[in-house]
Amino acid sequence: MIVNPLRDPRDRRLPRVPDPCALVVFGITGDLARKKLLPAVYDLANRGLLPTNFALLGFARRDWGDQDFAELARDAARKAARTPWREEVWERLAGSVHFVQGSFDDDNAFDELAAALADLESSHGIGGNAAFYLSIPPAMFPVVLKQMQRTGMAESTPDRWRRVVVEKPFGTDLASSRELNELVDSVFSAEDVFRIDHYLGKETVQNLMALRFANSLFEPIWNGHHVDSVQITMAEDVGIGGRAGFYEKTGAARDVLQNHLLQLLALTAMEEPVEFSAEEIRTEKLKVLRAISLPEDLPTAAIRGQYEQGWLAGQRAQGYRQEEGVDPESTTETYAAVRLGVETRRWAGVPFYLRTGKRLPRRVTEIALVFKRAPHLPFADTDTEELGNNQLVVRVQPDEGVTLKFGSKVPGSVMEVRDVSMDFLYGEQFTEASPEAYERLLLDVLLGDATLFPRNAEVEASWAVIDPLEQFWAGSSPHPYRAGEWGPRAADEMLAAEGRRWRRP
Amino acid sequence: MTTLWDTTGSAVVKELAAQRRTGGAVLSGVALTLVVVADEDRVAEAEEAATAAAEQHPCRILLVVRRQIEAPVPRLDAEVLIGGRLGPGEAVVMRMYGRLALHAESVVLPLLAADAPVVAWWHAPAPERLQTDALAVIADRRITDSSIAEDHLAALRTRANDYAPGDTDLAWTRTTAWRSALASTLDAVSGRRGDSVRVQGGRVEGDPGNASARLLAGWLTSRCGCEVEVVEGDRRPGPSGVGAVLLQLDQDEEVTVRADRHGGALLTQPYRPDTKVALPDRPLGDLLGEELRRLDPDEPYAEALEAATGVQGLAARSAEREHVWFDPARPDDGDDRRRTEGDGAAADAPTVPGDSVGTDDVALNGERNADEPADPSAPVA
Repeated sequence: MIVNPLRDPRDRRLPRVPDPCALVVFGITGDLARKKLLPAVYDLANRGLLPTNFALLGFARRDWGDQDFAELARDAARKAARTPWREEVWERLAGSVHFVQGSFDDDNAFDELAAALADLESSHGIGGNAAFYLSIPPAMFPVVLKQMQRTGMAESTPDRWRRVVVEKPFGTDLASSRELNELVDSVFSAEDVFRIDHYLGKETVQNLMALRFANSLFEPIWNGHHVDSVQITMAEDVGIGGRAGFYEKTGAARDVLQNHLLQLLALTAMEEPVEFSAEEIRTEKLKVLRAISLPEDLPTAAIRGQYEQGWLAGQRAQGYRQEEGVDPESTTETYAAVRLGVETRRWAGVPFYLRTGKRLPRRVTEIALVFKRAPHLPFADTDTEELGNNQLVVRVQPDEGVTLKFGSKVPGSVMEVRDVSMDFLYGEQFTEASPEAYERLLLDVLLGDATLFPRNAEVEASWAVIDPLEQFWAGSSPHPYRAGEWGPRAADEMLAAEGRRWRRP
Repeated sequence: MTTLWDTTGSAVVKELAAQRRTGGAVLSGVALTLVVVADEDRVAEAEEAATAAAEQHPCRILLVVRRQIEAPVPRLDAEVLIGGRLGPGEAVVMRMYGRLALHAESVVLPLLAADAPVVAWWHAPAPERLQTDALAVIADRRITDSSIAEDHLAALRTRANDYAPGDTDLAWTRTTAWRSALASTLDAVSGRRGDSVRVQGGRVEGDPGNASARLLAGWLTSRCGCEVEVVEGDRRPGPSGVGAVLLQLDQDEEVTVRADRHGGALLTQPYRPDTKVALPDRPLGDLLGEELRRLDPDEPYAEALEAATGVQGLAARSAEREHVWFDPARPDDGDDRRRTEGDGAAADAPTVPGDSVGTDDVALNGERNADEPADPSAPVA
């Protein structure tokens, strides 16, 4: 049945635009809302991707009117927007921006919010649809969710949808994440819950699926017969910033390994989904996450580290224990490296090395497939001294792209083979500004497309990998490493013991 | 930047290669080649638009300016730029004089990026039949602009008569913002009803002599199955030629989208408050950028063009174009070369082949004698 005669699947010029709806942001005055959400909303409006009937509702404790809020929103959007600033676009948007003041335990405030949503129905024609973005600390979830349940805001009916967006961390271990999932699922139905892992909104991560499943070149070698090992790195040059309170309790493994790195591993290792749909992709990812095995020799294959003072990018950086708000005896890790296995026919025996850390030399995220060496080299040993393993590297950020590293003859009268790299730079082939991760994910939430959102079974399977590591690490102290170097020595030794070494990203 | 005066095609190829080597960190990825055909007085405009489009889609820009076809001595002047005035990529601006202008493809062919799609854009009145320009034959996608013509409607009819899949027109691109506003308006209506919407009639208010307004009406006609006309509006419309669109829906409802001339439009629909949507007038470069986004045939355009002009069967035409020799200096057949106009007679081969397509017997038929079997798998006697 054709619902709208003007929509034509062949007409690729017309953008996908969500139904009329409202976006309700809890914690609108927070960092994330100001730096990411508000600019993303503006960018969506500027690209013409928001529905004609749209409203943005902010909820926070501050005593503000719509006007004050509109001003803050304008400044925030203008500062961080990626598309050029057009006053007329903002003016149109500003007419749909509203603010509700109150604290999360205040019944009146939520009644007011429910009333404001109902008003928007008549004033902006949002059709009763609303997405709630919980940009608040997880400790506040229960209160806010209970309030939404009490006021009936969370109910999807056949006439309208209500969705909720949850940010990481999704719990701190398997038990707490189950609790959180149960809580969220008791208020919203499972398909209305969107867990944001902003890495999955990045263009390169989605391109990983195109690279693997749209080409015939890579799939035949994408397995343990040809791949020697896989290295997935997410390095940050920054320290913990002002987040000591959060980080002390969390650490690198829970903060990054549990979500971003395991999701990247799942996308790298998963089988081909039956079709490119949310359900099928999530099914394949879940299979991989459940097939992950932990190393038996945890002391050598699960390393954590903590940065000490050092020099980074020409500046003195203080050690983790000296950071403000950090316990001087803290054993929280700022670096984690682990060797995992994936127990499937495709990957049995191939180690997956995952590492993440703060205060590493540069900010970089990449997935590197290191291939086995050729079984026989017809050249003299001296000819191939400088030849390493072939590598296929997917650079997630920065310089999004793909690098292929292989041996090539050095020009000259003797036979000498050396590694060269062939680069595909995303920005060179498609400079068209690809949407920012939040922009893309926000649009997907409003469209109801869950392809890029992990579901709760994935979150729980990820915790099942992390929990034993945390138990093993509990009570021990992390290996120290200097700020500005690539992690502790023990992590290098972990690979060296197996005749491998970390790639310098 | 290097300017080569009175040069040859091979010198341009060499210069481009030399500049790529010495250019340092320039964009090496080229997703497509954009061949721009422009009049001398529109060169600046074309350069600006091509640069803006190249920022969105890295491409090699080949700008062809044909001048003084009657000049007695053929001559080529070329400007080779890498990371200069024409954006971060590679660009060659070529001015061709004399008979060379009729053989522009001889210079362009060796400059095309290897195995990448070729897009040709006429920022000039396009030829009546695109086949008569060899540049159209080598292009995978051809962009014309009916709004350049004096008589938009005649230009649209010409394009419809000449249409082949892969053709598109900037007059069509100018309707995208309108189409998107209209489609999402009907989304809102169907969302409210929870049921489908049918359009029973409507009209486009604007300039009936404007190509974009006609195409928009044609699109509505083709999508809704009811006649949508362009009628003169009370206010003078903007560059898109459309001032307002009114659609009568089933269940006695009506929606209107009316441009406010400040980069927006007011949307009126039943049971909902009026809303404003963005409807900016887009610069040429932005339009061109949209065209470069997809390089597959644009079926909705073909249907809109059919409905706007009444010419039928556009989508069924072959996408293959074969070069037809045409000499503008002798439009009336004064030479031994003959122009073929609708009489179905095949054109004589030009003395200097337009390009190698279709002329290389070995490439076409393989190395065999005419009396040998055509099937290569058949045993050779």
